[in-house]
Amino acid sequence: MQRDIGKPLFDLFLLIASAAAFVAATALPEIEIVGDLSPAFFPKLLSGLIFLFAIPCLIKDFREWWMVRSVASPTPQVVKVRSVAQWLFVVLLLVGYMLAFERLGYIISTASFTFCCVLGLVILSGVWGEQTMAQRGKSVLGALVFAAVLAVAVFYVFNNLFEIPLPA
Amino acid sequence: MISGYLDGLGMVLQLGTLLAIAGGTLLGIIMGSLPGLTSAMAIALLLPVTFGMPPVAGVGMLLGALCGAGASGSIPAILLNIPGTPSSVATTFDGYPMAKKGEAGRALGLAIVASFFGGVASMIILSLLAPPIAEFALRFGPAEYFSLSIFGLVIIASVAGKSLLKGLIAGLIGFFASTIGTDPITGVGRFTFNELSLLTGINLLPALIGLFAVSQVLKDTLEYDPHERVKESTHRIDIARPRFLETLRHWKAVVTGVLSGSVVGPVPGAGGSIASLVAYDQTRRFSKSPDKFGTGYAPGIISVESANNALLGGALIPTLALGIPGEAATAVLLGGLMIQGITPGPLLFDDQGGMVYGIFLAYLVANFFMLLIMCLGIKLFIRVLTVPRKQLLATILVFCFIGVYGVDGDVFNLYLMLGFGVLGYFLNRYDFGTAPVILGLILGPIAESNLRRGLQSFQGDWTPFFTRPISVTFLVIAIGLLALTLWQNYRAGKQVSASQGSGV
Repeated sequence: MQRDIGKPLFDLFLLIASAAAFVAATALPEIEIVGDLSPAFFPKLLSGLIFLFAIPCLIKDFREWWMVRSVASPTPQVVKVRSVAQWLFVVLLLVGYMLAFERLGYIISTASFTFCCVLGLVILSGVWGEQTMAQRGKSVLGALVFAAVLAVAVFYVFNNLFEIPLPA
Repeated sequence: MISGYLDGLGMVLQLGTLLAIAGGTLLGIIMGSLPGLTSAMAIALLLPVTFGMPPVAGVGMLLGALCGAGASGSIPAILLNIPGTPSSVATTFDGYPMAKKGEAGRALGLAIVASFFGGVASMIILSLLAPPIAEFALRFGPAEYFSLSIFGLVIIASVAGKSLLKGLIAGLIGFFASTIGTDPITGVGRFTFNELSLLTGINLLPALIGLFAVSQVLKDTLEYDPHERVKESTHRIDIARPRFLETLRHWKAVVTGVLSGSVVGPVPGAGGSIASLVAYDQTRRFSKSPDKFGTGYAPGIISVESANNALLGGALIPTLALGIPGEAATAVLLGGLMIQGITPGPLLFDDQGGMVYGIFLAYLVANFFMLLIMCLGIKLFIRVLTVPRKQLLATILVFCFIGVYGVDGDVFNLYLMLGFGVLGYFLNRYDFGTAPVILGLILGPIAESNLRRGLQSFQGDWTPFFTRPISVTFLVIAIGLLALTLWQNYRAGKQVSASQGSGV
């Protein structure tokens, strides 16, 4: 059994989200057709069921977390922080990639995303700190070449081979 | 049937289709041999590539990926004692000991041929069983379709998540997401928030890629540690020679594997690990020398690998005949079929018989390609294991982006993909599972529209849903399964508390 406050927090999120969805479903228009159900029937039913099922999950997961709260986690704190930082970095990078995709065009945005992703993971995983200057230069150069080759090769394959147009 | 096969043969035996199947198989083999990457992910990534292809070529490519990934999990299992896929866990029992004895090439040769036999046998079973099941399902009306959808959703929700409630919640989330968009009967917009892209509902492709590819990449990113590298195999192999005669000498192990895979395959949510473990256990039980198992004994590898690939054909039976997928990979495949404009279910066999038989034959051809590619490219696939993860993760994300954007050039779909990716990550992390979400998305509209159409035709009367024999059978089985799962959970909980009590 692992100590993870995320479990009950996620259940709580589901509880709140399903309650919000139920409220939003009540605002849907009630249209009467003989024998038919209203368009709000299923959204209300489904959000209501999610809400109901999430309650026992929240209680169970909270109790589990409470029981093991004093047990020290086997994973060192620094590793945990590093992992979360890597995860958040990639999610934020993806948002940036989406915003840049049409504005900068496929090749520039993809090459930048790939370069940042590869180099960012090297830095955040702690490898960067262990490297000499020469190795760092090699890492940067490797990421640059990889990003450029991937972006151009994929552009060629999708545009010419599969005829899927990408923003230039 | 013969004319159907001839039509299908005409569709499959075209250069473009054969290349597509070979390409899909190659990608499937690569993905399957990388621990952590799944066949569902391989299919999700290939979906956009198949858009412009004729249906049989596109579906053949996806089936190739499924077939390749099913077989190649044995490579890291045999060489490194790391199962590439959950279903190859049992391959490590005898595969790795055989490799340690210096017979890695023999172990791979046996595994490849057993996978091939399993795949071919399951294709035969699929082609024999799916048409009569589909014909039976032609009797279904709205009540039966509604019950079948609920049955499919309940059955996968009860086995996909680690707890019944969590699996059900995941299925309900997918079902709820399927209600977004214009109501099919009244035309009222539901939760569209004036967003044009949502008027037609949630696009299946961003949901599939988000839930099965992006969520997996996010998990790998969290666990990314460059200090933990996969060790290169010390076993030298240039080519894995197929071991047909040796495999055939252990024909009982092949038959046990094929039977286990074919029986477990159609059971929704049962999965490859169960089929392979059942096959291994049964082969050992009926063996004259059970003590040899676990020491690098050929029947141990043969039974497991034939079960793994026989499972795929079995899982395709409910997917094609009823439109109810057996597990995550076939759920993604079902999404792929729908994107191709093919609606799986009984009418498919009636309306597009030639195409169905084409799909069967494409699956058969995929097995031949799997045999060929794995035998010739074994050295390459071993190298794939040492590809740096950071480059791999970035490449997969780029492919996800292009795939989703390529559907209709709508950036909104990219946001949907990321949203489903993050949701999928948390659903997997906290034991809800992602397969029920996709099932909910696919089966939700079928359940809702059939319930409402049924109610309209029955003048608002609900009783036919609970009195028509087929409909009530599905509902009773679904309720029975729910009760059984609850009972099993209750017993497991009691055992845990009893063991904790005795420990104190």
